[in-house]
Amino acid sequence: MGKTTLSINLAHAFARAGVRTLLVDADPQGSVGLSLTRQSRLLAGFYDFLVDPGIPLDRLIVPTRLETFSLVASGQASDYEAGGGVGGSYLARVRAFLRAVSSRGFDLCIIDTAAGLFGVTGDVIASSDAVLIPQQAEPLGIRSVPKMLEGLNRLRVMNPRLTVLGVVLTMVQQDLAESLEAGQALRQLLPPDLVFRTAVPRDGLFVRASARGLPVGVLEEGAGAQAVFDALRVEIESKFESPGHRAQVHA
Amino acid sequence: MDVVHPWLDPIEVRRMAERLLAPVQEQAVPLRDAGFGEQFVGYEPVASHPPQPVAVPQPITPSEPIVQPVAQAQMPEQKTEVRGPFLDRIARFRDWLRHHFQAVGVFLLDREGAVIFDESGHGKLHFLARSLAIASRRPGGMPGNVHVKVGASATLEVIPVDTPYGCLVLGAVVPAPLDPPAIAAVMDALRTVATPQQ
Repeated sequence: MGKTTLSINLAHAFARAGVRTLLVDADPQGSVGLSLTRQSRLLAGFYDFLVDPGIPLDRLIVPTRLETFSLVASGQASDYEAGGGVGGSYLARVRAFLRAVSSRGFDLCIIDTAAGLFGVTGDVIASSDAVLIPQQAEPLGIRSVPKMLEGLNRLRVMNPRLTVLGVVLTMVQQDLAESLEAGQALRQLLPPDLVFRTAVPRDGLFVRASARGLPVGVLEEGAGAQAVFDALRVEIESKFESPGHRAQVHA
Repeated sequence: MDVVHPWLDPIEVRRMAERLLAPVQEQAVPLRDAGFGEQFVGYEPVASHPPQPVAVPQPITPSEPIVQPVAQAQMPEQKTEVRGPFLDRIARFRDWLRHHFQAVGVFLLDREGAVIFDESGHGKLHFLARSLAIASRRPGGMPGNVHVKVGASATLEVIPVDTPYGCLVLGAVVPAPLDPPAIAAVMDALRTVATPQQ
């Protein structure tokens, strides 16, 4: 379980709590769309807006059965991005996209980006109010933490209002010593405020949920897993100054 | 067996992590004159090769003595002094420009075109610099440096520089156009100033 599952289920947790939430798939190779809508590859989406900012946001928004939960797929143009065919900076267009989202009345926009801190991902972070960092509880991933910290410090110079919400440990395996040790090592390395108390366990339910195209909380047996994301939501809300704070969060 | 710590410097990691939690010291300078439409998407990413001047004054022939030492000998301070916050370093860079090139009205635009440092107070100069930088951009490359006469003895130099934060555009009003070695020295100095502490 990585950032896409975290993004989907966290967005669902906020939406269930009554927060008007837009989940945006900004990972050209990601699966927010593939997880939740069968026709995602046919939908116009985020990257189409970057190529042509004249596309009305309403054409990109996919409603769900939950009134407060909507999606934007990555879109047709994402193939170019994945193949390196689209160059240049999209900072202004990413910001235009977020302005459109804000004026459309959403309280929260969660953007699932491609891994790394460069390209469109860098532009998204340089335009967002906050960043959430999913980190798998395994040694190799945690050894890369210094690079991630260095990159975020640079991006904060570009975007001084960026709040670093912290690192969320994911895919924690209680029955695997190396996974637990990696998680403990990360908590020792970083200040307590930079690591969420809530950690997301590795759970077959996530695979089952994505197979059915649903957030895990929708499954009958998903109440336990949903509780994890509800706890994460509460932790995130406590980091914002006011409960009604309108935010874009990059994950 | 410790699965993480032998691969990391915990003190350095902690230092970087605490920086992330601290407020960024420099305040974003309010944009007084954006001058961009919604279609502006920022400058091109930096090319790996050094940019070539577009509108430098007369070409220097091998027989001419190059105005040199000025540029080389004047680079210096950033390498030895204690580095401070970004805007402090930019302010010292501004002093260096003023001292060696009689530059006034120095300003700096980020890759989005936003003003991140300004002592000119003239939105029109910012707009002019953005327009010149865009106009000087070649396909697949980054903008080249250009200058334009803005007064009887005043020239606006516009010098795009590749930095770790993307392409920054320096604007400065100088008495006369800078020669290529001086331009190169200014670019090197700004690149050094805009490089985060290692």
